[in-house]
Amino acid sequence: MRSDAIEGLTAAEKLPSSYGEDRLVLLTRDPYWLFAYWEVTPESRKQLEIEGRRAWEHLNLALRVTRYDTDMDKEEGCFHIPINHTVDNWCIEAGVPDRYYKVDLGVQIADRGFVSLLCSNIVKTPRDQISDVIDENWRLPDWQARRLYRRIARGNPSSLEMAIRGGGSAHLERSDGHDA
Amino acid sequence: MMPKGYISFIFHAHLPYVRHPEHQQSLEEKWFFEALTECYIPMLRVFHEMADDNIDFAITFSLSPTLLAMMEDPFMQERYTAYLAGLQQLARKEEKRTAGDSRFAPLTQMYRERLDYAAYLFNEKYGRRLVNAFRDLQDIGKVELITAAATHGYLPLLAVQKEAAYAQLVTGIDNYRRIFGKTPRGIWLPECAYDPVLEEMLGELGLQYFITATHGVLYASPRPKYGVYSPILTPGGLAAFGRDPETSHQVWSAKEGYPGDYVYREFYRDIGYDLELDYIGEHLHPAYLRGNTGFKYYSITGPDNHKEVYNRQHALQKAREHAANFKFNREKQVEYYGGVMDRPPLLVAPYDAELFGHWWFEGPQWVDSLCRLLHGQNNLEMITPGQYLDRGYTLQLSTPNISSWGDKGYHEVWLNDKNDWLYRHLHHAAERMTALATAHPQAEGVQEEALTQLGRELLLAQSSDWPFIMTAGTMDRYAKARLGKHLERFMALEQQIRENNVDVPWLRAISATDNLFPHLDYRIFQSMESTVPVENKYEDLAGIR
Repeated sequence: MRSDAIEGLTAAEKLPSSYGEDRLVLLTRDPYWLFAYWEVTPESRKQLEIEGRRAWEHLNLALRVTRYDTDMDKEEGCFHIPINHTVDNWCIEAGVPDRYYKVDLGVQIADRGFVSLLCSNIVKTPRDQISDVIDENWRLPDWQARRLYRRIARGNPSSLEMAIRGGGSAHLERSDGHDA
Repeated sequence: MMPKGYISFIFHAHLPYVRHPEHQQSLEEKWFFEALTECYIPMLRVFHEMADDNIDFAITFSLSPTLLAMMEDPFMQERYTAYLAGLQQLARKEEKRTAGDSRFAPLTQMYRERLDYAAYLFNEKYGRRLVNAFRDLQDIGKVELITAAATHGYLPLLAVQKEAAYAQLVTGIDNYRRIFGKTPRGIWLPECAYDPVLEEMLGELGLQYFITATHGVLYASPRPKYGVYSPILTPGGLAAFGRDPETSHQVWSAKEGYPGDYVYREFYRDIGYDLELDYIGEHLHPAYLRGNTGFKYYSITGPDNHKEVYNRQHALQKAREHAANFKFNREKQVEYYGGVMDRPPLLVAPYDAELFGHWWFEGPQWVDSLCRLLHGQNNLEMITPGQYLDRGYTLQLSTPNISSWGDKGYHEVWLNDKNDWLYRHLHHAAERMTALATAHPQAEGVQEEALTQLGRELLLAQSSDWPFIMTAGTMDRYAKARLGKHLERFMALEQQIRENNVDVPWLRAISATDNLFPHLDYRIFQSMESTVPVENKYEDLAGIR
């Protein structure tokens, strides 16, 4: 391998494991999954250790995933994912397409419940099916809409998972721009 | 008379910036040279010949800013000239070797003729500036050229910092304006990756349209009345054109797609692998690494390793048949959709340009046959997205769905356990870039030079190609090394700027290597909260006067 490529690989391996900033970033992966990464500075760790009255390794760290409705008007619920103190990222099975999500990183404390330390940005999951919202000025008669969408669905190559979950029709060969 | 339907062909041409002056020869530069020789030049040839024959055709080509930068780079032009001369020399050697062999001699002649044409077009006709070959086609109204994001950054995953996505977009537009002298009407969102968070920026930049995957428009909300067979109007005031699944299937499908037909040329049998090293070695990498030369003499033949000699006449005949078949199917398709729509359906057919000529050798001839078949008939009219918008159809207001054209349709190809680690670094770097650009609104001299190069290193690190290659797993060491290099340079330079201690000789050295976008203005990275758009500044000034 060439020397500059080796240098580059070394550079990639030497990228800092932390930047000295508290941060929790949330990214959308697909209609069902999110990805979060975070960094907790030593100062914030200390603060949590005081709150939880335990050493960092023994704290019950968790991600709290909060879901909001499709217009971000109201909270629909939340769930917790226990995490190990050694990890700094997580793939989250959010489960519901077309919803807003926010994630908090915090600690479960016996008598106080979940105490949040870091709060993420807010993201939305994509829809995995045709929208239920119909603009009356742009409505096809039902029989025409059925004709239109039936044929598109037959050849729709967009998402295998979508088709399985959505119970779409069977013809599912992948044919996106990068398969060749 | 109104046609029964329209079809829009969009060829997306992109390569990452793979300029390596530090090496005598580089495998990655060869990606660019092969794309020129096997794809872009044969496609240009087809378009120019059709224009000479007065064929009515309308094609859209998106040329990524990194690709344009390499086409316009004198060093890359020089290297390509030498590369082409080497292949021409190999062609003459091959003609000698196969002389008198009725199966191979016509093929070596074909390659020689193609290479001679490439050299003529590149060196003589366009004085090494291939962008002018595209510009000429745009000027006569046959081709619509659109832009893409600066280094093909995967915008939905960069847009955690709006400034990062904005800089990618605005650099793509500025670069296009400088080369083609006007504002692009459309933009190719890299990987067709879309998220509504981009709307505000897209709307501000004067663009008129972009392309999405099928479900980008199909799953838009409110539900699009015409599915993907009419564009929709997005909240930012752009038109979103959704990909037609049937046209992509017929060309891309591994089982039923045209390119896999047994009479077509086999990509994987190349004299770079087949011939003795004593003979072919000097035309391979200096380390005598086996690789493609472009001289391929066999047809796909069948599913196993047995390969028959390629028959050009049969292959061209097949390309014509496939073009006729494609036309027939599209006519049936618009007839079907025409029956449920009160306007002619539009079939949007975007493809990776590299499929045509490089992977699918006969692809350009298929395009040629198809355009000639469609010429002068009324069932199906070729149209560019811009021309379609000029027809004035009222568009339904709707917000496209988050989507991409990658495997599974969303962001997973660019965000999975092979590459998700890199976003932490890209986001951090973008944040630092914005902080420095905002802190130094009036930098001059070395400081300005350093901030500009800092922007270039960030843009280069952001290419969607790196996470894509890591997922594909074939050249992942190169992708990782490139990402590491640009981030390392970014971090070192960022620290030097912060500490007001720029290592000028080193800065000049990295500026000479990572030299794309010579007009880049680092201020495009400034915080959106602390700045006003340039137009507003001028309006304010006018008010003062």
